[in-house]
Amino acid sequence: MSGQNDNLEDLMRRSLAGDQRAYADLLRETARLLRPFLSRRLRFSNEVDDLLQEILLSIHKARHTYDGQRPYKPWAYAIARFRLLDHLRTHYADQLRHAEDYDELEEILPDDVTESEISYESISAEVEKLPAKQATILRLMHHDGYTAKEVAAQMGMNESAVKVAAHRAYKILRERLER
Amino acid sequence: MNDIEQLIAGLSKEAQPVRPAPHPYKLSLQWTGAATLYLIVTLALTGLRPDWRESFVEPWFVAEIVTLFALFIVTALSAALLAFPDLHQKRLLAFAPVVPAVLFLAVIFLAWRADTPPAPLPEHSIECTCSILLTMLLPTAWTFYSLRRYASTHYRLAGSIALLCAFSVGALWLRLHEVNDSIAHVVEWHYLPMLGVGLLGLWLGRLLLKW
Repeated sequence: MSGQNDNLEDLMRRSLAGDQRAYADLLRETARLLRPFLSRRLRFSNEVDDLLQEILLSIHKARHTYDGQRPYKPWAYAIARFRLLDHLRTHYADQLRHAEDYDELEEILPDDVTESEISYESISAEVEKLPAKQATILRLMHHDGYTAKEVAAQMGMNESAVKVAAHRAYKILRERLER
Repeated sequence: MNDIEQLIAGLSKEAQPVRPAPHPYKLSLQWTGAATLYLIVTLALTGLRPDWRESFVEPWFVAEIVTLFALFIVTALSAALLAFPDLHQKRLLAFAPVVPAVLFLAVIFLAWRADTPPAPLPEHSIECTCSILLTMLLPTAWTFYSLRRYASTHYRLAGSIALLCAFSVGALWLRLHEVNDSIAHVVEWHYLPMLGVGLLGLWLGRLLLKW
């Protein structure tokens, strides 16, 4: 264990001196170390990969704050934890925003659902009549529970485009269901 | 996995020799040195309080200045440690400002208890807070500029501590410049605004030090 630690510190010292091979080894070793740390805390493997990339970039950006005299692992884990918390904060803020989206959907429904002619099936049927992209977005967000960010990643769109498309879809649904 | 390999390949190509950041002790020494010089120059320009000889034999005044100076030194050290992602692995020292802050509060409380009969209140009030805020502008700008070059993972706390450090420079200047023995005035218009400044620092830290 101590040998591996010495190795990491040595790799970092050589990286700071401009050794490209040592730097590649160090980043590879860091990714190997951090993957289980992130996997235990995140649900999806694509999330782990994205965050791991972000952490490696942060390590690259902050490498001048490591002087080679102190253990490498606490330094790298401090950055990993910082980025993880940042990610979770954004993720949960996203979830809260989606909670508002659900509220919007609930507004479409009449007060007394049991006496309504609008059923889950009728909403689903209306969703299927939407343009394909909007229908997929609503299905992913409200049926499969993905966040706008995750939907954006899956569909190759940016996050705000997903939100705009979802918003337009709600409007269309509202109009159709109120008829 | 391929993306990560690609990223590693890209980043390793950028591996040029890097000059490591200075040790936080050295960094805080630079900050305190610059701030002390600034304090001396400001005092030279505005003048030391004319009754300084009498004031420096007053035990509570001396204790107040000493603890305020300690707060300035320790907050500078703490801000320098907070500039590093792992607090330079000196976590306890990063939270050390609690000690001079508690001592300072105790001194102020005891000085207030000892102020009988109370010294007359000066005629001015908020001017003192404004003067301190103006004086701290330069140290604040310098510290934040310096902090931005590192990688704080506690950016809110770093902002707050940096602002408290700059505020203590302003507060030291005013105590050494203004002829005023009223501890009630000092508490209300010199030191209570510190709380607001600390909170403002949390916000400024998020705004300026997030990376």
